[in-house]
Amino acid sequence: MAEAAAGKKVIVKVKRQATPKEAAHWEEFALNWRPSMNVIICLRDIAENPVTSDGKPTTPITYDSNCLEEICGSCAMLINGRARMACSALVDSLEQPIRIEPLTKFPVVRDLSVDRQFMFESLKRVKAWIPIDGTYDLGEGPRMSPEVQEKGYPLSNCITCGNCLEVCPQVNDHNGFMGAAIFSQVRLFNMHPTGKMHAAERLKAAMGHGGIEDCANAQNCVKACPKGIPLTESLAEVNREAWRQALFGWLVG
Amino acid sequence: MSATESQPDASYLLRKLHSLTGILPVGAFLAEHFWSNSAALVSADKYNQTSAELQTIPFRIFVEWAFIFLPMLFHGGYGVWIWLRGKSNVSQYPWVKNWLYTAQRYTGLIAFVYIGWHLYTERFLTQGRSTYASVEQDLQNPLFLTFFAIGILASSFHLGVGIWNFLCKWGLAATVRAQRAAGQLGVLVGVTFSVVGILILISFRFDWHPFASYINK
Repeated sequence: MAEAAAGKKVIVKVKRQATPKEAAHWEEFALNWRPSMNVIICLRDIAENPVTSDGKPTTPITYDSNCLEEICGSCAMLINGRARMACSALVDSLEQPIRIEPLTKFPVVRDLSVDRQFMFESLKRVKAWIPIDGTYDLGEGPRMSPEVQEKGYPLSNCITCGNCLEVCPQVNDHNGFMGAAIFSQVRLFNMHPTGKMHAAERLKAAMGHGGIEDCANAQNCVKACPKGIPLTESLAEVNREAWRQALFGWLVG
Repeated sequence: MSATESQPDASYLLRKLHSLTGILPVGAFLAEHFWSNSAALVSADKYNQTSAELQTIPFRIFVEWAFIFLPMLFHGGYGVWIWLRGKSNVSQYPWVKNWLYTAQRYTGLIAFVYIGWHLYTERFLTQGRSTYASVEQDLQNPLFLTFFAIGILASSFHLGVGIWNFLCKWGLAATVRAQRAAGQLGVLVGVTFSVVGILILISFRFDWHPFASYINK
């Protein structure tokens, strides 16, 4: 294998910018091929020897990554034009030159590192948590049925990577749409027996600015989700709960 | 993009109303319109009868504006606003439903322009008194015929996709299985409306009345 690999190159083109305001430019790198290489390994190899394919020294590329197994959600980027996790993007399955760009729906911090604060702010707006703290011991919550556990578990896999926002035609600068992941969390916490107690508040936020009605059913989110979360089901369910709340909330509470 | 404090949003109600008007009354009117015009497939007389019946409904002007013109204007106008706030990326992500998202916008605009012209020529120019003969005469013009065909196909497609969208967006078809079934219903409606619409056109253009035998019984 090592002999066969000798001399085999991996050509990688990276879209870079040193500061948030600076115009982006491309740099090309020729790396030594190794078995089972993924895009993160390419970026590490560049950091070890930051020289472009035409021999010019450059700086290591800034990028976010952590777990390397699609659990942390930090290494989402555009690889050959598609939003995906860099850690699971295997070089041998990619067309070369491999084009690597930062996500476009979030502000770039530097190179491939983007600021996903928008998602965290959205999660706060819809109260994507279960309040269990009080000034006194609130005791145990209600038991959760296995059915609800089974439905909730896949939703709890969300890693806030931002791929579903990146591929959504409705998430853009003219539109405050919060994106599929956020509404899937609304569904998760509204189905939880304790979380249910704040269901109306979450639904109201889901009907606010950038809310669920900005979804236009292009259904790209569910195809791009690295965790296979049933996002279109979540959107439909939260949509139904929202209009019921809007229509009957004032009538029946 | 910046997250603002959550507060009730008027656009929520407008979006819901946009979605609803597409089915009721606009989609329902399209069904009624194709049904009434199918009278041409029986005979010119039957068509004129059906047409006269509709032209003499009580409260006609009120019914036309409240249930046809205004909802269509709102659905079309707000639809364009929605289009402007989205940013199609079908070249980057050429997935079927993403294509439908983009096509829904173009067919909506085509249908909107077509319906405006159709209303002008067949409703206002005729002072609401169009007859089999007047429609037949219009359709001898190849440009009219072509625009009619495009309008019928665009409207049928838009309604078919719209039914699927509506069922998903109101959570009436929430599970993947239900959404697939909603999609099949949309295809069925789109194809049926297209076929019926084109048959009506053929009927007028070639004086073709396949159900003429119903009368002589």
